[in-house]
Amino acid sequence: MRNATTILIVEDDERIRGLMRTVLSGGGYATLETGNAATALSMLASHSPDLMLLDLGLPDRDGQELLREIRAWSNVPVVVVSARGQERDKVRALDGGADDYITKPFGTEELLARIRAALRHGQRMAEGEKSIYNIGGLQVDTERRIVRVDGREVHLTQIEYKIVTLLCRNAGKVLTHDALIREVWGPFSNCDTQLLRVNMANIRRKIEKDPAMPEYILTEIGVGYRMAESQP
Amino acid sequence: MRRNWRFSPRDAGVTLLALVAAAALSALFTRLDPAGKSYAPMLFLFAVALVSRLTSGYFYGVAAAVISVFAINFAFTAPYMAFNFSLAGYPLTFLTLLVMALLISAMTTQLKRQEERNYRARVEEMRANLLRAVSHDLRTPLTSISAAASLLAEDDGTLGAPRRREMLLQISDDAQWLIRMVENLLSITRVSDGPSGVRKTPEAAEEVVSEAVRKYRARFARPAAQIDLPNELVMVPMDAILIGQVLSNLLENAALHAQGATRVRVRLRVEGAWAVFEVTDDGAGIPPARLATLFDPSAAQPSDSAAHPRNNMGIGLSVCRTIVMAHGGALEAENLPDGACFRFRLPMEKEEKHA
Repeated sequence: MRNATTILIVEDDERIRGLMRTVLSGGGYATLETGNAATALSMLASHSPDLMLLDLGLPDRDGQELLREIRAWSNVPVVVVSARGQERDKVRALDGGADDYITKPFGTEELLARIRAALRHGQRMAEGEKSIYNIGGLQVDTERRIVRVDGREVHLTQIEYKIVTLLCRNAGKVLTHDALIREVWGPFSNCDTQLLRVNMANIRRKIEKDPAMPEYILTEIGVGYRMAESQP
Repeated sequence: MRRNWRFSPRDAGVTLLALVAAAALSALFTRLDPAGKSYAPMLFLFAVALVSRLTSGYFYGVAAAVISVFAINFAFTAPYMAFNFSLAGYPLTFLTLLVMALLISAMTTQLKRQEERNYRARVEEMRANLLRAVSHDLRTPLTSISAAASLLAEDDGTLGAPRRREMLLQISDDAQWLIRMVENLLSITRVSDGPSGVRKTPEAAEEVVSEAVRKYRARFARPAAQIDLPNELVMVPMDAILIGQVLSNLLENAALHAQGATRVRVRLRVEGAWAVFEVTDDGAGIPPARLATLFDPSAAQPSDSAAHPRNNMGIGLSVCRTIVMAHGGALEAENLPDGACFRFRLPMEKEEKHA
């Protein structure tokens, strides 16, 4: 019999940790917890939890550094806890291999939703790539290179198509501006974010019912873009 | 003023226009009065003075002076339509024009610097006032939270379930208000974090508007929010988090203070070198007595914070003004025939003088 999904909480504030434990147990998860990086590493190795909730401000080590070290040997989904306004920290964490982030102060619903999304994403990565993605009324067929919205075929340029498929493959996950540029235009392109924004604006005008209130490609201000998840 | 000289279409246009006008007028006057010798030098002198005053830096003034010297020499002194550098007064004309250009450019630059210093000082003062006001306002909800929490902790069952629940909701309400106030506080401190007030990066304005409205819709069902965006993408240099905060505050203000409003519309448009954001509601409008001190945190306090700690109009709006001004923009409020309109503009050019 499969045990409950285990979540490792790495957070130095005892009260927040206690609250997270309560929320997560209420959500049906088993929890492990620690307040420092050293224990976090050993717990990760010995218990192999299904997900790690990592606060970037730890007493004994820089959270970003810890994240990079973990990524060298583990694919465990990591959700980073960070404060609003520290967008650059979020970007660094995402580029350093974090799966998602949650902004303090957060609500309990939001915490559970982010954790579910990160777990699903980890699972999808394990299953490998699909050839057809369905997100609400949006369908991306990567084999025939066809994009449809509510059954109607939409014509995207090469670059626009690349952006959409990349976001689809990572549905639910935030892709940073830099990561998108690197993947779409190549690592050595000196493309600026302006070109990405222009393409994104065009994509939205083609696939969104209301480009002013996008429902497929969501904006994470100061960080990047996220494709909405298909409802399971 | 600018350490690195950059081409400015506006300044180049001014220079060209002034010189062409001077040449045209010189030609006209010389034709009307062929004996007059001083028209061309005088008119060009005037053109150079004008260019030096109206453009930034020394480049355009000096360039105008040099061009003028050649133009006068070539077209308006004998031999006409030919250069002759051996004319008697030639070095003097050249020197006069050049010194004039340098002098006026220096004065203009100094004026602009002074203006900018004053502007910075004003933003700084606003920031300090605001910090004081916000910190002061934090006390009300904190008192209420702490009192309610200790009552609940000491309760031995006499309070009764409905009353306990009510108090818990009040705590949660106050905490939410505190969270928003702290966001505002952080925004104000963020304004001075960068070397020149705010750190601007080119952002898609439509994304910032959409996200602010999305957040608003999650919190308020009414008044219903509408978005009105231009068809083309508008990129505006800004701190997106801060401008998002401005839009959120303005929307929240409409939800809490626009009496009888059924909708609030966020509109973005481009006006020349400015991106203009408008938050318009169809409520009863801003009371005329409040219009003058709307963005002043200290003026808003007595009536707002004491009685309705959660309805603090003054703080949110003053934060908006501080943020917009730190971006080199302007925020204004007015009453339309059918509601209130808050409008702010941000410069679209990256190198603005206050940026």
